[in-house]
Amino acid sequence: MVSLADVNPYEMIAYTGSRVLEDSTIVFVGTGLPIIAAMHAQMTHAPSVNLIFEAGSLASILEQGMPMSVGDTRAFRKAVFAKGLCAVFELTQRGYSDYAFIGGAQIDMFGNVCSTYEGGTYLKPRVRFPGSGGAGAMAANCEKTIAIMALEKRRFVKQVDFITSIGFGDGSPDYRHKAGVMGAGPYRVITNQALFGFDKDTRRMTLLEYLPGKSPEAIQELVDFELIISPDVKEMAIPTEHDLMLLREKCDPEGFFLKRKIVDK
Amino acid sequence: METGVNSKVVGWSIVDKETVEKQKKRKVDFEYWGPTPREARKSAVAKKKGLVDKRMTIKEAVDRFVKDGMNIGVGGFVNTRVPTAIVWNLVKKGGKDLTLSFQSNSICCEWIAGAMLTYPEHMSIKRIELAWWGYEVIGIAPLLRFLAGNQMIEIDDYTNYGMSVRFKAGAMGIPFIPVRDHGGSDMELVNRGTMIQCPFSKENTYLVPACHPDVGFVHVQAADIYGNARIFGALCTCPEIAQASAHTIMSTELIIDNMAIRRYPNLTEIPYPVVDAVCEQQFGSWPGAVYGQYWFDMEHFLYFRSMCDEFRKTGSKDKLKAYFDEYFFGCDTYDDFIAKIVPHKKLIDLRRRDGGQPIILS
Repeated sequence: MVSLADVNPYEMIAYTGSRVLEDSTIVFVGTGLPIIAAMHAQMTHAPSVNLIFEAGSLASILEQGMPMSVGDTRAFRKAVFAKGLCAVFELTQRGYSDYAFIGGAQIDMFGNVCSTYEGGTYLKPRVRFPGSGGAGAMAANCEKTIAIMALEKRRFVKQVDFITSIGFGDGSPDYRHKAGVMGAGPYRVITNQALFGFDKDTRRMTLLEYLPGKSPEAIQELVDFELIISPDVKEMAIPTEHDLMLLREKCDPEGFFLKRKIVDK
Repeated sequence: METGVNSKVVGWSIVDKETVEKQKKRKVDFEYWGPTPREARKSAVAKKKGLVDKRMTIKEAVDRFVKDGMNIGVGGFVNTRVPTAIVWNLVKKGGKDLTLSFQSNSICCEWIAGAMLTYPEHMSIKRIELAWWGYEVIGIAPLLRFLAGNQMIEIDDYTNYGMSVRFKAGAMGIPFIPVRDHGGSDMELVNRGTMIQCPFSKENTYLVPACHPDVGFVHVQAADIYGNARIFGALCTCPEIAQASAHTIMSTELIIDNMAIRRYPNLTEIPYPVVDAVCEQQFGSWPGAVYGQYWFDMEHFLYFRSMCDEFRKTGSKDKLKAYFDEYFFGCDTYDDFIAKIVPHKKLIDLRRRDGGQPIILS
């Protein structure tokens, strides 16, 4: 039996990310943990998950190791289709991307995500981040958005400084329709300590699962808005020995993301 | 343009009113940050369309086409097939009040920003229209953070699709294009796009303006002497940028025979009429990666980024200045630069790390 102490937070996120993906889908991924989550899903319960990398590839085979960038040469290896950004974002806009994996610095209760700046104002930001990149388009037009975030009070905020990636906006039923976007919106939020979904009626963030040993109350403590606690709330599943072997030896053998080493010399 | 149509972000956003009003002015008094669609059309019509040898050095091309105040379209994507050799020559030549337009980029922009911060009389960026400026796994861009935090540049924020399709609209010769993103995010309030009610579907639809750079910079794997180019791996947004730009400078790892181009015309991603300069330049994207040729030089990205981050934290320009003095102003050509900055063995290793991606050069 694997004990929780054997699993590091990044492995927990990647494993949880894998669990939420259904088979026979297209996943629009970002660098790092989303790729690992999708690779793990391919090797276990979802062999027909195919990836889009935003520089323009579909269904590549990641046989050369972990891509270090969504434009990495390796992300185009043995793809079935290799074009540019317009092509894959247009496939997405048309309805062919089932899941988006995005990240960000802040998220609110309706799943709106900020990755443009933090603190100060838009015109005089305290910390300016790189900007939307693909995230804003993915959150708009992939069918379901999965956000990966660190669970901290300063990140799970009442309102984000700047909505870079649209969630359910103000939570009203027609917010996304009035925004002109096509995807259904936020689906899951994955952290190392909890898995969240969104309530169907109120579109508010809902605690679905928490790390064994924690409690819904402990998770609420780390969030600056009031969570809905699912009536079916339960403990997160822990990867098996086989899952850990796949994550460590097959998905990210060099430990770039699971061990947070960035560069090999 | 300002239509009075908005999504419900207006009632929910916490971006301050002053900012929103200021940004709204840019929509009301909209101006293309570069050639207008009609001006871009005129520059295309004025070109001689024969198959003529367009080979020249990058220095000649940059001297001929880049002027102060221009909008430079930067090709590639983040660290992939980025036109570093052209940007290196631009930094050496200098340029004031430039507008940079791109979807996502790293070292090209940080080099120009670094030159601006160390030699402000020589180089300056006035504004940027972009989706993303950073290094991905290596970290966020210290010099963007510095320039934005100190209000030294004007910024126009879009998504990666938004910027790509703005170039595409430029390449199509249309003044704007409807998209399904930006709406409902704060970009709706701060960028220069606008929401309309679609005359056909009656639904709110976001419009983004075409982007025509004065000069597009692209680097490709192979091209003939006329500028017919093949790209393998990610096309990024290079075909669109090349076709949208009033003039395009193309560097290429390799010049291939025109008969090879004619053998497989479907492989041509950029057609010759949109290209004004063809510059053969090996390692023309280093430290970036070129599919089928060489992989990223991660060490150099880290090295340069840490120098920029140190400047951001301490304000000391010494190391950055030394870098530019030695590796830019202290080298005559980009080949001299490569010879000085990357050990030969490292270049061999970067070629090996590509893993032999199959590309067609014949």
